Amino acid sequence: MVPFGTDETISRMVADYSDMLLRLASARLGSTADAEDAVQEAFLRLLTARPAFRDQEHEKAWLIRTTLQRAGDIRRRAEQRNIPLEDVAEPMAPESPGEELRSAVRALPEMYGAVIHLHYYEGYSIKEIGKLLGLPAATVGTRLARGRERLRQMLKEDVV
Amino acid sequence: MNREDYRKAFDELSFSADFQERTADLLQQRARELEKERMNMTFSKTKKMAALIAACVALLAVSVSAAYMWLTPAQVAEEHDQPLLAEAFQGPDAIAINETVESGDFSITLLGLVTGRNLDTLNPDLEQDHTYSVLALRRLDGTPLENETFDFGSYTMTPLVAGCSPLAVNNWSLDAFAQGFAKDGVYYYLLDTRSIEMFADRTVYMAFYEGFVPNNDTFTVAEDGTIAFADDFSGVHALFTLPLDPAKADRAAADAFVESTGMNGWTNERSDPEGEWNIERHETEDGEEIFLTPKGEQ
Repeated sequence: MVPFGTDETISRMVADYSDMLLRLASARLGSTADAEDAVQEAFLRLLTARPAFRDQEHEKAWLIRTTLQRAGDIRRRAEQRNIPLEDVAEPMAPESPGEELRSAVRALPEMYGAVIHLHYYEGYSIKEIGKLLGLPAATVGTRLARGRERLRQMLKEDVV
Repeated sequence: MNREDYRKAFDELSFSADFQERTADLLQQRARELEKERMNMTFSKTKKMAALIAACVALLAVSVSAAYMWLTPAQVAEEHDQPLLAEAFQGPDAIAINETVESGDFSITLLGLVTGRNLDTLNPDLEQDHTYSVLALRRLDGTPLENETFDFGSYTMTPLVAGCSPLAVNNWSLDAFAQGFAKDGVYYYLLDTRSIEMFADRTVYMAFYEGFVPNNDTFTVAEDGTIAFADDFSGVHALFTLPLDPAKADRAAADAFVESTGMNGWTNERSDPEGEWNIERHETEDGEEIFLTPKGEQ
């Protein structure tokens, strides 16, 4: 494959993966600006880490993992700066069903959120998610089931 | 909630219209800056090295191989932004190997490995141990290996286990994630696989070779289970035996793993592609069902 760093590969990868990575980061971060930062940081890591990819699946898996890690970092930094959630008197009412769903997904523990998003938004199977995240399929299945159960409790509706 | 609701909720989000353009511009600019930094570093390093060499030549003669300095496995992990792994490579569980094989135009050095849990900061909640191995590759003629030109995809670094088919225990069955980068002319591999310690009561190898999935053009398996490269394999190759602690073996888990792959068959005999399949035919009401199974598979 053409190494990352040439104008051609940069343009291709940004065009191919930005949308997918931005929505993935948004499943972890409440602000679209933060999601954009996480994805930019993941792309920048490509320049410094310069991993060599076996194929496009390997490339995608690396970007997904790195974006999740960057989103996790941004989230942890924000949590350290902010008042703990339990000190907030009353959370604001969600404006739309979509916002309610997104807030519920973001409230999931990190280990469930990514699996839920990759399955429900990207349509990946348990086995495919296992390959992307480097997890055994059984673990992905467990996380998906537990994530669904938590969403069901938060949204007070069936999750299928 | 169903998939449609989910997609709709996330499709409602709008991002900056110029995100892609802005990001591509930022990356292209940063790539040029890094390239400039790299060239400056190389230039300044060359000047320093010239002075150093001039001083050393007068004092003592050092063999080329002894003078060669690799990054340590911990430094390789740091280059990948993996501080926990870097720490593990300096801890008591790390196994230093530092064995070199010369093959074709290359010198292949297995630097070391470590097995542990939650060492990967990119994937911090793995529920099982993983083994991380580091290998260094350089050209014998001194031509530097570079990210831009090194063909990472042409080579495979994979664990193999004596007594198990190379089809059953390898990178693909062990969910490997290989990464690499070039630094100072040396190409470094960092291989992440499921833990190989369960096989530690057998001979466990780390193979590096030019090629892809292990097959009988590349490997032979002796009657006692020993694995070797095929005599006529002409690609770059090296086979290292790993000094794992047999006390860490888990024979039941290893057997269950091999069984789960469904691939523990092997034959050293090569045949033309058309002769590699068992063909079973069964008459059915609608005609005939034909089952094809690889001959080596049990």
